[in-house]
Amino acid sequence: MASDNTVIGESILISGKLTGDEDLTVRGRVEGEVSLTKTLIVEASGVVRANVEVKNAIVSGVVVGNITATESVELTKDGRMVGDIRSPRVIIVDGASFRGRVDMGDLEPNRERSERPAARPLMRPTVRTSSAPPRPPVAAVAAKAPAAKPVPPPQPSRVESRVDARPPSPPKPAAAARPAPPPPPAPPAMAEAGKKKVLVKKKR
Amino acid sequence: MANTVIGSSIVIDGEISGDEDLVIQGTVKGKISLKESLYVENSGVVEADIDTQNVEIAGRVTGNILASDKVELKTDCRVVGDIKAPRILIADGASFKGNVDMDTKER
Repeated sequence: MASDNTVIGESILISGKLTGDEDLTVRGRVEGEVSLTKTLIVEASGVVRANVEVKNAIVSGVVVGNITATESVELTKDGRMVGDIRSPRVIIVDGASFRGRVDMGDLEPNRERSERPAARPLMRPTVRTSSAPPRPPVAAVAAKAPAAKPVPPPQPSRVESRVDARPPSPPKPAAAARPAPPPPPAPPAMAEAGKKKVLVKKKR
Repeated sequence: MANTVIGSSIVIDGEISGDEDLVIQGTVKGKISLKESLYVENSGVVEADIDTQNVEIAGRVTGNILASDKVELKTDCRVVGDIKAPRILIADGASFKGNVDMDTKER
Protein backbone atom coordinates (compact mmCIF):
# COMPACT_ATOMS: atom_id res chain seq x y z
CA MET A 1 0.00 0.00 0.00
CA ALA A 2 2.59 2.49 1.11
CA SER A 3 4.80 1.72 -1.84
CA ASP A 4 2.03 2.46 -4.33
CA ASN A 5 0.70 5.55 -2.65
CA THR A 6 2.14 8.99 -2.30
CA VAL A 7 1.99 10.66 1.06
CA ILE A 8 3.18 14.14 1.86
CA GLY A 9 3.98 14.09 5.58
CA GLU A 10 3.01 16.73 8.08
CA SER A 11 6.29 18.61 8.18
CA ILE A 12 6.81 18.60 4.43
CA LEU A 13 6.35 21.67 2.25
CA ILE A 14 6.26 21.26 -1.50
CA SER A 15 6.15 24.35 -3.61
CA GLY A 16 5.96 24.05 -7.34
CA LYS A 17 4.21 21.76 -9.73
CA LEU A 18 3.14 18.27 -8.81
CA THR A 19 1.81 15.81 -11.36
CA GLY A 20 1.09 12.11 -11.26
CA ASP A 21 -1.04 9.08 -12.05
CA GLU A 22 -1.69 7.82 -8.56
CA ASP A 23 -3.50 8.76 -5.38
CA LEU A 24 -1.92 11.52 -3.35
CA THR A 25 -2.45 12.05 0.36
CA VAL A 26 -1.47 15.42 1.73
CA ARG A 27 -0.82 15.82 5.46
CA GLY A 28 1.64 18.65 5.04
CA ARG A 29 1.64 21.64 2.72
CA VAL A 30 1.55 21.82 -1.03
CA GLU A 31 1.74 25.14 -2.86
CA GLY A 32 1.59 25.76 -6.57
CA GLU A 33 -0.13 23.36 -8.88
CA VAL A 34 -1.37 19.80 -8.49
CA SER A 35 -2.58 17.62 -11.33
CA LEU A 36 -3.36 13.96 -10.92
CA THR A 37 -5.28 11.37 -12.89
CA LYS A 38 -6.51 9.87 -9.63
CA THR A 39 -7.58 11.01 -6.19
CA LEU A 40 -6.25 13.84 -4.07
CA ILE A 41 -6.88 13.40 -0.37
CA VAL A 42 -6.22 16.39 1.83
CA GLU A 43 -6.20 15.15 5.40
CA ALA A 44 -7.10 17.23 8.42
CA SER A 45 -3.54 18.44 8.90
CA GLY A 46 -3.05 19.10 5.20
CA VAL A 47 -2.93 22.52 3.59
CA VAL A 48 -3.09 22.92 -0.16
CA ARG A 49 -2.66 26.34 -1.68
CA ALA A 50 -2.78 25.41 -5.29
CA ASN A 51 -4.83 25.05 -8.38
CA VAL A 52 -5.84 21.43 -8.42
CA GLU A 53 -6.77 19.24 -11.36
CA VAL A 54 -7.73 15.72 -10.40
CA LYS A 55 -10.27 12.97 -10.93
CA ASN A 56 -11.53 12.99 -7.35
CA ALA A 57 -10.76 15.27 -4.46
CA ILE A 58 -11.57 14.61 -0.81
CA VAL A 59 -10.90 17.57 1.40
CA SER A 60 -10.69 17.20 5.17
CA GLY A 61 -8.06 19.86 5.60
CA VAL A 62 -7.62 23.27 4.03
CA VAL A 63 -7.65 24.08 0.35
CA VAL A 64 -7.14 27.57 -0.99
CA GLY A 65 -7.37 27.56 -4.75
CA ASN A 66 -9.53 26.20 -7.48
CA ILE A 67 -10.34 22.54 -7.86
CA THR A 68 -11.26 21.03 -11.19
CA ALA A 69 -12.29 17.42 -10.89
CA THR A 70 -13.44 15.14 -13.69
CA GLU A 71 -15.49 13.04 -11.29
CA SER A 72 -16.16 14.41 -7.81
CA VAL A 73 -15.17 16.82 -5.10
CA GLU A 74 -16.07 16.10 -1.50
CA LEU A 75 -15.71 18.47 1.41
CA THR A 76 -15.91 16.45 4.59
CA LYS A 77 -17.07 17.82 7.93
CA ASP A 78 -13.56 19.05 8.75
CA GLY A 79 -12.90 20.41 5.29
CA ARG A 80 -12.34 24.09 4.72
CA MET A 81 -12.02 25.55 1.30
CA VAL A 82 -11.81 28.91 -0.42
CA GLY A 83 -11.91 28.78 -4.19
CA ASP A 84 -13.98 27.58 -7.06
CA ILE A 85 -15.03 24.02 -7.68
CA ARG A 86 -15.69 22.58 -11.11
CA SER A 87 -16.87 19.04 -11.02
CA PRO A 88 -19.92 17.02 -12.14
CA ARG A 89 -20.39 15.82 -8.55
CA VAL A 90 -19.86 18.11 -5.60
CA ILE A 91 -20.49 16.88 -2.09
CA ILE A 92 -20.44 19.31 0.81
CA VAL A 93 -21.35 17.77 4.11
CA ASP A 94 -22.59 19.34 7.31
CA GLY A 95 -19.72 21.05 9.12
CA ALA A 96 -17.65 21.82 6.06
CA SER A 97 -16.84 25.42 5.34
CA PHE A 98 -16.60 26.70 1.82
CA ARG A 99 -16.47 30.01 0.03
CA GLY A 100 -16.43 30.13 -3.73
CA ARG A 101 -18.30 29.10 -6.79
CA VAL A 102 -19.51 25.69 -7.73
CA ASP A 103 -19.88 24.66 -11.33
CA MET A 104 -21.30 21.22 -11.93
CA GLY A 105 -21.16 21.82 -15.66
CA ASP A 106 -23.98 22.00 -18.15
CA LEU A 107 -22.16 20.50 -21.10
CA GLU A 108 -22.72 16.98 -22.32
CA PRO A 109 -26.28 16.58 -21.04
CA ASN A 110 -26.42 12.97 -22.24
CA ARG A 111 -23.54 11.99 -20.08
CA GLU A 112 -24.84 13.78 -17.04
CA ARG A 113 -28.26 12.23 -17.22
CA SER A 114 -26.73 8.80 -17.02
CA GLU A 115 -24.26 9.75 -14.30
CA ARG A 116 -26.40 11.73 -11.95
CA PRO A 117 -29.15 9.30 -11.10
CA ALA A 118 -26.47 6.82 -10.21
CA ALA A 119 -24.64 9.33 -8.08
CA ARG A 120 -27.54 10.78 -6.12
CA PRO A 121 -28.80 7.74 -4.27
CA LEU A 122 -25.32 7.38 -2.79
CA MET A 123 -25.40 10.90 -1.42
CA ARG A 124 -28.93 11.05 -0.15
CA PRO A 125 -28.63 8.91 2.94
CA THR A 126 -26.08 11.29 4.46
CA VAL A 127 -28.27 14.24 3.62
CA ARG A 128 -31.34 12.74 5.20
CA THR A 129 -29.72 11.67 8.41
CA SER A 130 -27.95 14.98 8.86
CA SER A 131 -30.76 17.44 8.41
CA ALA A 132 -34.02 16.56 6.70
CA PRO A 133 -36.18 13.73 8.03
CA PRO A 134 -39.37 14.71 6.16
CA ARG A 135 -37.73 14.35 2.76
CA PRO A 136 -38.42 10.77 1.74
CA PRO A 137 -41.47 11.65 -0.42
CA VAL A 138 -39.42 14.14 -2.41
CA ALA A 139 -36.65 11.62 -2.72
CA ALA A 140 -39.11 9.08 -4.08
CA VAL A 141 -40.22 11.52 -6.75
CA ALA A 142 -36.61 12.29 -7.49
CA ALA A 143 -35.87 8.63 -7.96
CA LYS A 144 -38.64 8.29 -10.54
CA ALA A 145 -37.73 11.52 -12.28
CA PRO A 146 -34.65 10.36 -14.19
CA ALA A 147 -36.74 7.81 -16.09
CA ALA A 148 -38.75 10.60 -17.69
CA LYS A 149 -36.00 13.19 -18.37
CA PRO A 150 -37.73 15.21 -21.08
CA VAL A 151 -36.00 18.56 -20.51
CA PRO A 152 -32.47 18.15 -19.21
CA PRO A 153 -30.97 21.64 -19.81
CA PRO A 154 -32.69 23.41 -16.90
CA GLN A 155 -31.28 20.89 -14.50
CA PRO A 156 -27.64 22.03 -14.38
CA SER A 157 -28.51 25.71 -14.25
CA ARG A 158 -30.76 25.18 -11.28
CA VAL A 159 -28.10 23.25 -9.54
CA GLU A 160 -25.73 26.11 -10.05
CA SER A 161 -28.03 28.80 -8.82
CA ARG A 162 -28.96 26.86 -5.75
CA VAL A 163 -25.44 25.91 -5.00
CA ASP A 164 -24.31 29.48 -5.33
CA ALA A 165 -26.71 30.35 -2.60
CA ARG A 166 -25.00 27.99 -0.20
CA PRO A 167 -22.10 29.88 1.35
CA PRO A 168 -23.97 31.83 4.04
CA SER A 169 -25.03 28.62 5.80
CA PRO A 170 -23.54 25.61 4.03
CA PRO A 171 -25.20 22.59 5.67
CA LYS A 172 -28.93 23.22 5.20
CA PRO A 173 -28.93 24.71 1.70
CA ALA A 174 -26.68 21.86 0.65
CA ALA A 175 -29.34 19.45 1.80
CA ALA A 176 -32.01 21.37 -0.03
CA ALA A 177 -30.04 21.63 -3.23
CA ARG A 178 -29.62 17.93 -3.84
CA PRO A 179 -33.11 16.53 -3.74
CA ALA A 180 -34.54 19.61 -5.44
CA PRO A 181 -32.86 19.57 -8.88
CA PRO A 182 -34.35 16.30 -10.18
CA PRO A 183 -37.97 17.51 -10.29
CA PRO A 184 -37.61 19.77 -13.37
CA PRO A 185 -37.14 16.83 -15.76
CA ALA A 186 -40.52 15.45 -14.74
CA PRO A 187 -43.01 18.29 -14.25
CA PRO A 188 -46.08 16.04 -14.66
CA ALA A 189 -44.98 13.72 -11.88
CA MET A 190 -44.39 16.64 -9.57
CA ALA A 191 -47.74 18.17 -10.38
CA GLU A 192 -49.53 14.92 -9.57
CA ALA A 193 -47.58 14.54 -6.40
CA GLY A 194 -48.49 18.08 -5.46
CA LYS A 195 -52.18 17.50 -6.06
CA LYS A 196 -52.18 14.29 -4.10
CA LYS A 197 -50.56 15.98 -1.17
CA VAL A 198 -53.08 18.81 -1.24
CA LEU A 199 -55.99 16.39 -1.39
CA VAL A 200 -54.70 14.43 1.54
CA LYS A 201 -54.37 17.55 3.57
CA LYS A 202 -57.93 18.62 2.77
CA LYS A 203 -59.33 15.27 3.83
CA ARG A 204 -57.54 15.47 7.10
CA MET B 1 9.50 3.93 7.84
CA ALA B 2 9.28 7.47 6.68
CA ASN B 3 5.82 8.88 6.39
CA THR B 4 6.38 10.92 3.28
CA VAL B 5 6.55 9.00 0.05
CA ILE B 6 6.63 10.39 -3.47
CA GLY B 7 5.17 7.53 -5.50
CA SER B 8 6.59 6.23 -8.75
CA SER B 9 4.14 7.99 -11.05
CA ILE B 10 4.48 11.36 -9.36
CA VAL B 11 6.43 14.23 -10.86
CA ILE B 12 7.24 17.25 -8.74
CA ASP B 13 8.73 20.33 -10.30
CA GLY B 14 9.64 22.76 -7.58
CA GLU B 15 10.87 22.78 -4.04
CA ILE B 16 10.45 20.29 -1.23
CA SER B 17 11.35 21.13 2.32
CA GLY B 18 10.59 19.52 5.63
CA ASP B 19 11.66 18.03 8.95
CA GLU B 20 11.03 14.38 8.28
CA ASP B 21 12.26 11.48 6.19
CA LEU B 22 11.38 11.53 2.52
CA VAL B 23 11.24 8.55 0.19
CA ILE B 24 11.32 9.25 -3.53
CA GLN B 25 10.11 6.62 -5.96
CA GLY B 26 9.03 9.12 -8.59
CA THR B 27 10.59 12.19 -10.13
CA VAL B 28 11.58 15.40 -8.42
CA LYS B 29 13.09 18.39 -10.18
CA GLY B 30 14.15 21.54 -8.39
CA LYS B 31 15.40 21.57 -4.86
CA ILE B 32 15.12 19.35 -1.80
CA SER B 33 15.99 20.47 1.70
CA LEU B 34 15.29 18.29 4.71
CA LYS B 35 16.46 18.03 8.29
CA GLU B 36 16.26 14.25 8.16
CA SER B 37 17.00 11.53 5.63
CA LEU B 38 16.32 11.34 1.95
CA TYR B 39 15.91 7.97 0.27
CA VAL B 40 15.96 7.82 -3.49
CA GLU B 41 14.73 4.36 -4.39
CA ASN B 42 15.44 2.34 -7.54
CA SER B 43 12.67 3.95 -9.52
CA GLY B 44 13.41 7.42 -8.19
CA VAL B 45 14.78 10.17 -10.39
CA VAL B 46 16.01 13.38 -8.82
CA GLU B 47 17.22 16.37 -10.76
CA ALA B 48 17.74 18.70 -7.88
CA ASP B 49 20.15 20.17 -5.43
CA ILE B 50 19.86 18.29 -2.18
CA ASP B 51 20.49 19.61 1.30
CA THR B 52 19.79 17.09 4.06
CA GLN B 53 21.26 15.22 6.97
CA ASN B 54 21.46 11.79 5.34
CA VAL B 55 21.01 10.66 1.76
CA GLU B 56 20.67 7.11 0.50
CA ILE B 57 20.58 6.76 -3.24
CA ALA B 58 19.60 3.66 -5.17
CA GLY B 59 18.10 5.51 -8.12
CA ARG B 60 19.28 8.37 -10.28
CA VAL B 61 20.35 11.76 -9.01
CA THR B 62 21.60 14.72 -11.00
CA GLY B 63 22.56 17.68 -8.86
CA ASN B 64 24.74 18.69 -5.99
CA ILE B 65 24.35 16.94 -2.67
CA LEU B 66 25.11 18.58 0.62
CA ALA B 67 24.66 16.39 3.68
CA SER B 68 25.40 17.20 7.30
CA ASP B 69 25.98 13.55 8.16
CA LYS B 70 26.21 10.92 5.46
CA VAL B 71 25.74 10.20 1.78
CA GLU B 72 25.40 6.61 0.66
CA LEU B 73 25.51 5.61 -3.00
CA LYS B 74 24.12 2.11 -3.34
CA THR B 75 24.63 -0.52 -5.98
CA ASP B 76 22.97 0.39 -9.29
CA CYS B 77 22.59 4.05 -8.47
CA ARG B 78 23.63 6.72 -10.97
CA VAL B 79 24.74 10.00 -9.57
CA VAL B 80 26.06 13.04 -11.39
CA GLY B 81 27.04 16.07 -9.30
CA ASP B 82 29.19 17.14 -6.42
CA ILE B 83 28.88 15.57 -3.02
CA LYS B 84 29.85 17.29 0.17
CA ALA B 85 29.45 15.42 3.45
CA PRO B 86 31.59 14.24 6.36
CA ARG B 87 30.82 10.59 5.51
CA ILE B 88 30.46 9.33 1.98
CA LEU B 89 29.94 5.68 1.10
CA ILE B 90 30.08 4.42 -2.45
CA ALA B 91 29.09 0.80 -2.91
CA ASP B 92 30.45 -1.57 -5.51
CA GLY B 93 28.37 -1.19 -8.68
CA ALA B 94 27.41 2.42 -8.09
CA SER B 95 28.09 4.87 -10.87
CA PHE B 96 29.14 8.36 -9.93
CA LYS B 97 30.58 11.39 -11.65
CA GLY B 98 31.50 14.52 -9.74
CA ASN B 99 33.55 15.87 -6.92
CA VAL B 100 33.65 14.49 -3.43
CA ASP B 101 34.36 16.71 -0.47
CA MET B 102 34.63 15.14 2.99
CA ASP B 103 36.01 18.21 4.65
CA THR B 104 34.38 18.07 8.07
CA LYS B 105 35.57 21.42 9.34
CA GLU B 106 32.94 23.46 7.57
CA ARG B 107 29.97 21.51 8.75
